[in-house]
Amino acid sequence: MSNIEHDEAAIVIIGSGAGGGTLAYELTAKGLPVVVLEAGPYLRNEDYVNDEWEAFNQMAWLDPRTTSGSWRIARDFPNLPAWIVKAVGGTTTHWSGATPRFKAHEFAARSTYGRIDGANLLDWPITLVELAPYYDKAEVAMGSTHVHGRKPLPANNNYTVFANGAERLGYKFYSTGPYATNAEEYDGRPASIQDGFNFQGDKNKSKWSTLVREIPRAEATGLLDLRPESHAVQITHDASGRADAVLYLDKDGNLQRQAARLVAVAANSIETPRLLLQSASPMFPDGLANSSGQVGRNYMRHTTGSLYARFKDPVRMHRGETMAGVIADESRHDPDRGFAGGYFLETISLGPAFLASFSDPGAWGRGFTEILEAYANTAGLWIVGEDLPQESNRVTLNTTLSDKNGLPVPNVHFDDHTNDIAMREHGYAQAELLYEAVGSVGAQRTPPYPSTHNMGTSRMSARSEDGVVDKWGRAHDVPNLFISDGSVFTTSAAANPTLTIVALAIRQAEYIADQLKTGGI
Amino acid sequence: MAFPAKYPQMNATELTDEARSVLIRVIRVAFPHPSFPDAPYERTADTILREAENSTWFRVALTQGLLTLGHLAGGDFRDLNDEDGTKVLRRIETTEFFGFIRRTTVLNLYDNEDVWEILGYEGPSFDKGGYINRGFNDLDWLPEARTETYDGPEQLIEIATNASVAKIRGGENTPAIERDTSNQPGKRDATMMEMTK
Repeated sequence: MSNIEHDEAAIVIIGSGAGGGTLAYELTAKGLPVVVLEAGPYLRNEDYVNDEWEAFNQMAWLDPRTTSGSWRIARDFPNLPAWIVKAVGGTTTHWSGATPRFKAHEFAARSTYGRIDGANLLDWPITLVELAPYYDKAEVAMGSTHVHGRKPLPANNNYTVFANGAERLGYKFYSTGPYATNAEEYDGRPASIQDGFNFQGDKNKSKWSTLVREIPRAEATGLLDLRPESHAVQITHDASGRADAVLYLDKDGNLQRQAARLVAVAANSIETPRLLLQSASPMFPDGLANSSGQVGRNYMRHTTGSLYARFKDPVRMHRGETMAGVIADESRHDPDRGFAGGYFLETISLGPAFLASFSDPGAWGRGFTEILEAYANTAGLWIVGEDLPQESNRVTLNTTLSDKNGLPVPNVHFDDHTNDIAMREHGYAQAELLYEAVGSVGAQRTPPYPSTHNMGTSRMSARSEDGVVDKWGRAHDVPNLFISDGSVFTTSAAANPTLTIVALAIRQAEYIADQLKTGGI
Repeated sequence: MAFPAKYPQMNATELTDEARSVLIRVIRVAFPHPSFPDAPYERTADTILREAENSTWFRVALTQGLLTLGHLAGGDFRDLNDEDGTKVLRRIETTEFFGFIRRTTVLNLYDNEDVWEILGYEGPSFDKGGYINRGFNDLDWLPEARTETYDGPEQLIEIATNASVAKIRGGENTPAIERDTSNQPGKRDATMMEMTK
């Protein structure tokens, strides 16, 4: 591993997840040395544990956050708006692995859906055609099943219920993927042993994450200076308005300064805007790169919900991959359903500990214990669909509360749009029909979990008035500042975001390398 | 998180054995599992009592709650049947006292092997080789399902044909720059204004 001096103006990447980890590998592979500041520790696959709460406490981002707005999270989990990871590899160590692509019209939500009251819709400044080659590269890198010759994952019990229900309901576009989890040995990593602890890090390394692929490969180039337990506090700039350093707290709480010639922020959609807001200065009084006023706004979390259905016979959904099934039939845009945009249905499974905490937060009594009593006979699915950007759904600094470092904590404000609510209700109803078609005797509508899909707080726009970064993820206001995570999503689309984050990061790396070569930065 | 009492003598607030036994009954009435033996409920009650030791607020709320539950129960709460006990708990479900018991129970009762086995959950599996050879696909009451991508005659219609969308859909041949990238109200509104003039 390389050592880069603190006063050497370096390429500094903040975050090592889907965006930051990919960017770090792609740049080092092109011969460019980088510093990666990762707030969390360097956990390895062998450190992970097959226990829901123990793993959660080991991996999750648990620094205090606050919430406001009418979303149920603000009542049930007021200090846990998001369920993401603080460790090397970021949330790719926790993600389910689903890799659907965005559809062409989802890059043009404003043009396709028209004006929708309360929504801050905008077309992306890029198209599917432009991103398609990078989707290919990302799918190959991540080993997505069902594409590029990768074989499908086998059907586990939860999928067998899900797919039979789909078939009987008349759905056509169901399968066990695409998932970036190996059905057979691929890229030096083994096939899944179906252990059911995907959300807990995956000890077997069958699931793609930047921890198992991009980070070790970047290290192997000798050009990566990875600094775990390094929490970025501020991006500073010079008199010309160019970023010139990143201030961060090391593991002992000492403030360090890393000089920078280029800064790429990939800290996930709550910490990324938090860092930009913490970087306000007399030249950038509303926060760095925030002349549009859009930093922190348009926070999206996907329209989600789960349905846990009970049967007379055993399912044992905990056996096998946590997610290994997707139905795409409802991912279309069809306003006759009463909402714009679409959603996927994907299998999901929780153990009793998480099912108790998340299936119906606040519930108790006979109705609650029936959910747990039926555990062995329960099948589960997750609704994941497009949610609409709203300016008032927003990450701000809560200056009345400090974290252990004395920094203001982020507040996450969220209200569902009526479109989101209509989509969720439709999803629940379809899921109930699906399971009824295979004989369910009861079902629990589970509200959204703390968000694992966090998007939109530094969005991409053609015009600098409308967003924070351009089509390359480069800040409109600061020429050597890039955003490299899901924060740049102009709209959320229905698909799980990781594949798109990775594709954008591969594309951004090409652009950065090219611009550095030609003096464009 | 610790909230030490300002006056040390208050820390002596004792939860008696009787209070513990009322607490166990409260948990069983609130979270009834006929198949569970007493041990998981006792374990959970002891966790609650331990956590109360670390928080003055919870300790006083819990102590007061357990001491006075009998007033609502019209006698000893432990003498009520499940149905009547549930009614009493419904009346206090928004109290800090019950909320503390509920939250701590949800987090702890189900996070232990002693109930997993009863519920049919098998716990850690990696060390046993996962379920690849231990029944991940042993469901036998439904037919085998297709795992591959659908390759029949139908195509997924991404935009319903009845959707009155703008002609430009960000489609294959449309350069991004020509598309509507404004976040301002669209033309439709301007047209409306002209209509009403």
